[in-house]
Amino acid sequence: MKYFFLVAFLLLSLSSKAQNDRFIFGFFPEASLSYKISEKYSITHKIESQNGLFDSNNLNEEFEYEQTLTDLQTFIGRRLSPFVKVDVGYQYRIEEGENTHRTIQQVSILQRESFYRIGHRIRIDETFFQDAPLLFRARYRIKGQVPLQGLSLDPGENYLTVSNELIYMIQSTEDDLENRLTAALGFYFDDKNKLEVGFDYRTDDYLVDNRFRHRLWFKFGYYKTL
Amino acid sequence: MIRIITTLFVLFGIAFGYTQEKNEVEKRVKKSEVHEQAKEWLNDAYENKRKVKWYYQTDGKKEVFEAKLKHDKHLHSVEFSLDGNVRNIEILIDENELAPKVREVITNFLETNYAKFSISKIQIQYTGDGDDLEDVIDEDEFENITIKYEIEYYGKSESEDELWEALFNAEGVLIEKRVVNLRATDNLDY
Repeated sequence: MKYFFLVAFLLLSLSSKAQNDRFIFGFFPEASLSYKISEKYSITHKIESQNGLFDSNNLNEEFEYEQTLTDLQTFIGRRLSPFVKVDVGYQYRIEEGENTHRTIQQVSILQRESFYRIGHRIRIDETFFQDAPLLFRARYRIKGQVPLQGLSLDPGENYLTVSNELIYMIQSTEDDLENRLTAALGFYFDDKNKLEVGFDYRTDDYLVDNRFRHRLWFKFGYYKTL
Repeated sequence: MIRIITTLFVLFGIAFGYTQEKNEVEKRVKKSEVHEQAKEWLNDAYENKRKVKWYYQTDGKKEVFEAKLKHDKHLHSVEFSLDGNVRNIEILIDENELAPKVREVITNFLETNYAKFSISKIQIQYTGDGDDLEDVIDEDEFENITIKYEIEYYGKSESEDELWEALFNAEGVLIEKRVVNLRATDNLDY
């Protein structure tokens, strides 16, 4: 645990050097619940919430709790083979100002190696706003999972997971890039219960002049399958 | 802040409330935990190979030690009973290293049963007495040795679409097969 805060502190001090950059730090709990409705089809519900604790845009630079947003997602997935799954999903975002709707389409591909596995996720999503044009995003995520005891992951053991996601977004004529790098320690209680605790480091506004944003989330996600 | 803490507690509560029976275990062990006899056999057969990784494995009933090492550019897994007796040797090979006749029989089986298939892993398995198994490694002799092939493959037919683990005999004829259950991918997909 002390390492987490050490990393957070290091990134905080790094960001204070770049004066123009905006830095946000906070908690990001998430939980997902998946269950099969037939041989091929499954449903997944997910809830996630971003809770800011620090924002360099605040003048006094003090820790200040603020619930930024909460997402409620539901997906219907169809398994095309043991390694390929397609999903369509819907997200309702609760946020100060305006709650938004988002539609999601994704393909996920499982790559199995001798002792680790890699998940590839290709996703597109469309976000609808009341008074703003449609936001379209195309994203690719690669996530690796390695057991920490032995060569296979058994119930009660831990694993390490690292992922990176690149997101291209376009709204009307403006476009931008976002990157999300995560590293987490996973607790594999059994195949129906997993907990991942780690950091999610997000950078965006790459294509916007004089504005670059870092966001570091302390993330804990619970994955439950029925 | 209170909400975060509550969420945390709920999540951890769900997690630890779940104490499932632990059946399959595979873990790395120190060389010193392994029976002397097993280490001696390995040293004799593989002539003091240095880079050996030891594992303990159980499926809930059978308990074994397994040594993993590289030999002649192949990954060898040698299985021992807890009292140090060698049970079998499994060697990871490529599809093109199968004897042409065996390969033909296996390919024929796959083509007959599946519209689509792909082999992901082949292990040649040697079973026999300690001395005979030692001869396989250091003399390249196969007297009194049972040869089997353990093959993991993906096979899709009209009724089945699964990943399989199958055992074939020395001639390439299927002995048994079982479905390999892949772990849930929810943490990779969402």
